[in-house]
Amino acid sequence: MTTLDELFAGRAATIVPDAVGPTLAAEVRARLAGRYTRYALRDRGSYDVVAQVDEPALFAALTGIAAQVTGRALAVVDARALRLGAGDYLLAHHDRIDEGVPVELALDISAASVPGAEVHYRQRGKVYFRAASQPGALAVVARGPTVTCNHTYVSKRHGDAAVVRLMVLLRDV
Amino acid sequence: MWRLGPQWLDEARLAKAWREATPFPHLVFDDFVADDAMAGLFESLEEEPVERYEGDILAFEASAPEPATREMAALRDDFAQLLAAPLTRITGKAVRRADMRAYAYRVGHYLLPHADHQDGLGRALAFAYYLPSPEPPEGGELELFRCAIVDGALTSTVPDRRIAARGNRLVIFDVSDVSLHQVCEVLRGLRISLAGWFYP
Repeated sequence: MTTLDELFAGRAATIVPDAVGPTLAAEVRARLAGRYTRYALRDRGSYDVVAQVDEPALFAALTGIAAQVTGRALAVVDARALRLGAGDYLLAHHDRIDEGVPVELALDISAASVPGAEVHYRQRGKVYFRAASQPGALAVVARGPTVTCNHTYVSKRHGDAAVVRLMVLLRDV
Repeated sequence: MWRLGPQWLDEARLAKAWREATPFPHLVFDDFVADDAMAGLFESLEEEPVERYEGDILAFEASAPEPATREMAALRDDFAQLLAAPLTRITGKAVRRADMRAYAYRVGHYLLPHADHQDGLGRALAFAYYLPSPEPPEGGELELFRCAIVDGALTSTVPDRRIAARGNRLVIFDVSDVSLHQVCEVLRGLRISLAGWFYP
């Protein structure tokens, strides 16, 4: 049986490949490079974070894509950058739960893809949407109070892995 | 099947070692199963089915929480019966029964940091027994974290001790809000173990 939750979830998440090119991604990575702080409460996550990111031109473009995908008029309310190396992760119970149904964007600005490094969206604990490591790709996900997100463990077999994601939260204008 | 070796005779020494262990109480016993009992142990596990488990915190293969075979159930019950009384005296935690699952961590498998304590479950002590592996693992260590709590909230988690998953080694460790631990990713080989918790 398909539940209404599953129907909703299935329609409200998509991947837009090649949302940004490698040159722009490299420029953004360079601007972020010196600003990371380490998060290491290890029962929740292990990653580098820039808590507030301001990239007006990029965000305008991303908001436009999100508006097209969702049919909603949206504006950025929060943006942060995450960088995960080998052995890093961010668990679902560390995820922020947002009120209402905001739209979350996960833009992969990594230099190279990393096998198995994914963003998972869960509805009541069950994964319903996976964003694989794909430089330039944009995940557009309508969230709700029952949706959580986790960034999967990055294998130490990929010792030089550097997964960089911009996580942007949008709300209706 | 299970027998206590001479290292279990001096319970006062073990109790002291338990209390003084850092970052939180634990004990490590090598050569836990006698050589002449090892083949029987593997025989008891032969028919126990395992399946893959995957979540944000874990990736491994394991048997079901309740044993599928009589042999595995007997192994669990005998283990609990043998160890409950000495562990009660050594750790000061009154335990009577245990659960037990078989685990196989292959290359890329892991269990990320967590404390086993959950209200209502009654877990008092945790254990892991590492079976001799046909391909001894690289990685797969049990890593213990030193935690700080301020006003009831965890404020730091620092890796403190790594215990290798050496074959025929038994590790017993405390279950509490600060017993944060993980199974490091297996990078080569196969890590096979029996693990679970003791309960009052």
